[in-house]
Amino acid sequence: SLSKKMKEDKMSNLVEQYFEAHSSSKVLTSDRTLQKLQKRRLNQETLRDLLKKAPLPYAAEIKELNQQHESLFSKWMLQLHLGFNIVLYGLGSKRDLLEKFRTSVLQDSVHLVVNGYFPSITVRSILNSITEEVLEHTGTFRSPLDQLEFIVKRFKEDSSLELYVLIHNLDSQMLRGERSQQILAQLSSLPSVYLIASIDHINAPLMWDQAKQSLYNWLWYETTTFSPYVEETSYENSLLVQQSGSLALSSLTHVLRSLTPNARGIFRLLARYQLENKDNPSYPGLSFQDFYQQCREAFLVNSDLTLRAQLTEFRDHKLIRTKRGADGVEYLLIPVDDSTLTDFLEKEDEDV
Amino acid sequence: QQIQEEMNKQLFDNLVSFLRRSHSEFQEKATEWTCRMKSREIPTAALVLGVNVTDHDLTFKSLSEILQNNITPYVALLQAKDCPGIKNLMQKLMGQLMNCYVDADSSDEEDCAQVSPNRIRCSMTSLISWYENITKKTDSETPNRKRTSSRHLQSPPVVVIFKDMESFTTKVLQDFIVISSQHIHELPLILIFGIATSPMIIHSLLPHSISSLLCIELFQSLSCKEHLSTIIDKLLLTTQFAFKLGEKVLQVLINIFLYHDFSVQNFIKGFQLCIVEHFYSQPLSVLCCQLSEAKKRVNSLSHSQCENIRRLPSFRRYVESQESEKQIALLTSDNFLKEAVQKLLEDLHVYHENYLPVLRCLHVFTSSLPKYPLGKQIRELHCACLESRVWETEDYESSLQLARMLNKSDLVTMLQKCVEIFVSSSGKDFDKVVEKLKDFLAQFQKLEGACQEQGESISSQKELQKKTDLYHLQKSLLELKESRRSKKLTKFEVLRFEVVDFIDSLVKNYLVPADHQTLHELVYFSRAGALREHLNAAPRVALHTALNNPGCYLKHQALRSDGGSLSNKAPDVCIVYKLHLECGRLINLVDWLEAFATVVTAAEGPSGDAAVSDQVDDVIHARFIRAVSELELLGFIKASKQKTDHVARLTWGGC
Repeated sequence: SLSKKMKEDKMSNLVEQYFEAHSSSKVLTSDRTLQKLQKRRLNQETLRDLLKKAPLPYAAEIKELNQQHESLFSKWMLQLHLGFNIVLYGLGSKRDLLEKFRTSVLQDSVHLVVNGYFPSITVRSILNSITEEVLEHTGTFRSPLDQLEFIVKRFKEDSSLELYVLIHNLDSQMLRGERSQQILAQLSSLPSVYLIASIDHINAPLMWDQAKQSLYNWLWYETTTFSPYVEETSYENSLLVQQSGSLALSSLTHVLRSLTPNARGIFRLLARYQLENKDNPSYPGLSFQDFYQQCREAFLVNSDLTLRAQLTEFRDHKLIRTKRGADGVEYLLIPVDDSTLTDFLEKEDEDV
Repeated sequence: QQIQEEMNKQLFDNLVSFLRRSHSEFQEKATEWTCRMKSREIPTAALVLGVNVTDHDLTFKSLSEILQNNITPYVALLQAKDCPGIKNLMQKLMGQLMNCYVDADSSDEEDCAQVSPNRIRCSMTSLISWYENITKKTDSETPNRKRTSSRHLQSPPVVVIFKDMESFTTKVLQDFIVISSQHIHELPLILIFGIATSPMIIHSLLPHSISSLLCIELFQSLSCKEHLSTIIDKLLLTTQFAFKLGEKVLQVLINIFLYHDFSVQNFIKGFQLCIVEHFYSQPLSVLCCQLSEAKKRVNSLSHSQCENIRRLPSFRRYVESQESEKQIALLTSDNFLKEAVQKLLEDLHVYHENYLPVLRCLHVFTSSLPKYPLGKQIRELHCACLESRVWETEDYESSLQLARMLNKSDLVTMLQKCVEIFVSSSGKDFDKVVEKLKDFLAQFQKLEGACQEQGESISSQKELQKKTDLYHLQKSLLELKESRRSKKLTKFEVLRFEVVDFIDSLVKNYLVPADHQTLHELVYFSRAGALREHLNAAPRVALHTALNNPGCYLKHQALRSDGGSLSNKAPDVCIVYKLHLECGRLINLVDWLEAFATVVTAAEGPSGDAAVSDQVDDVIHARFIRAVSELELLGFIKASKQKTDHVARLTWGGC
């Protein structure tokens, strides 16, 4: 009973800590900002150069750790073949480990590597690469579900097909959605598809409910490597790094998600208009007057002023760019490449 | 590997057949009911299946199979994830029905071709016209059709199964019900809902106007706990499988089942993992098979394998208990060892054969006692027996005491059950036991007469008491009590003691825990830690230890932690993490950076030149950025808009 009491104490302590952290809305931190620090902001390249200069401490120990993990490779193979899928967790990038696994064991078999940390990755692109490159099927599908059905059918028909799928960062921004996880889970439940994935986020297991978990049939392996997340964090737009010019899909959706429905509608309208004219090289953008008219017709704004305010906000987030044409009219453009925009609209339509 | 596959196959076959059987009764009820309900308006069966969603697939599969064989060829299985809108639902439904139909009599190829192309325009009208076509065809006189129509009834119903009622969107479900209720005369439809929670969900999902269109009947399936106990009975408590689970491992599996998910499938998965681990890690597991096969394999053991046997702790114990000459022979001569091992394996086999009936016997006794000191289920008893010598535990003591106070009718039925168990078991030593038990029974029968007489005398006393007044009644009762207290043990009681003692001796002889057997390592898998790690992992704990105490993983002397404090030579992420623990909900990046710089420069020692220090500063800045973005990736912090240059902490607690 003593241990039980201890446990209870610990529990209540945890709860108290939570409320302590969230009790006052006032924040007791200093008001210093980075601007006052008199230091230039680093951009992505100088950061990389600087980090190259800094030696990695404990290289020998880390290598030893990795060797321990590598000794498990043959066991993994056996377990994959017995219908389990493998998920790796623990501190440190597991990318090199998986690469090693790929090069040493999977050399001769059909395998697919998915870089989950890549900000423009979608489930559709994963499915596409399976259907196009593994199954050598040319043709389009109406929805990912149809595509999945096709894949499942093919794999069931042809028992000689085998596919190893390696997913780095299954819990990344783009793949953590419910629908993507459902599709991946169904894919992994196929007996001849072997999945080996890595997760990093502390709340990653929250993605899976019981049904998905049983589809995935995970075996957990702790692979703490301590190696730095070089590739993974290079896309993470940190506060301290200067933003590069082009917008990524993930940041686009992020910003848009925090806006009101009307503001999102406005943006969607503009995006759709831009896509419709993407084949027209002389398309200057949508003029403000036309845009205003269209927004009014869709009941998105009620006055010139609100639209301007909205556009200012977009401009602050670098979501749009204005250009003055030869005739002195303001033209609006979204400075994002078309494929990203298409992906974005597709995702939005799914959500609505 | 071959052995593994063989084991797996056996296991799964057993499991599937068992699940089939356990559901068949319940399914028969359902099918019967669908037969009956055909004529009325949308009949609905609600199957309450329990929260273990993962196990339901098999149930539905066999249900639809049975339905197809017995009642109707038109069964469609709908899942919530396929039907986000009514359109998808109709599409899926039509596709499945037509395929079902094609499956049922696949002789006609032309049907296939006719049916499949029009998947795009799937409406209720097309469904009805399709159905009419089919029924018309069944009525027409092609011989092929006639067979079908004779097998099924005239105008068979169309059964639609909703696998997971809870996850359907209400609108889709409502629309579908309304639409199909409109057409119920042309299209005899039957709905089956699979419900994981409670039947209340129907009423909360469907408003009154819609649920009034349905005629619902409830069906309850077996609880998952019963499944578990049957599975344990079938898998673990048989001699059929050579592979056994150790106590700790079994405990882990049962705990995962009872405290996490109630899923039989996950239990099986765990069991499967045990098998894999056992055969992978234990070099002597080749001997884990049927006795005759094992004996053959012993003969073909190599020298190194023999060395492995000698290294087993249980075998060493065995050697130490032998005479010195024999010891030398065992340790040096391989052939002698092989013979000994064969005998030991036989012993192990006999031990298992004896263990089970005695266990069941003991369970018969303990499961009827009040408060269940040794547990209600046989699995608890099994665990207790594996853990230690069961007769040394307190619970066993108290249960024997309770058993000594049993009444006669219970005792007799128990003894009879025990006799049955022993007779059906294959062990050789039990002839005597059975005889003894039968003897006991006979004696009880003899006692019966005497008891009846006693009973009569008591009843006559009662007659007397009725006539007397209250005072007398009290007095006579007191007298009765006196007499009872002073009474000697009756013949019955003596016998009862004898029986209990006999059972006790049985237990002591046969229920010795497996750890005490020689060579138990071959067949028992007992690495519970590995199992827990792979099935029930805790990623957050791993991250926490790695960040708090990197010395656990990196064996470097600079990282030896002394009581919770972190040395300043730890990896960057750990330092940044440690510093972030000291903050509240929001963290100022500038302060954080400076704190980090202080720690790191202190670790690297003082550097003189200003120009160099500027260079170092940049590097430190870069390292800090990397560490912070790593923490962001791990989900400990996120960018905050509340204040400039602040990040929000997503965890709580800390220093």
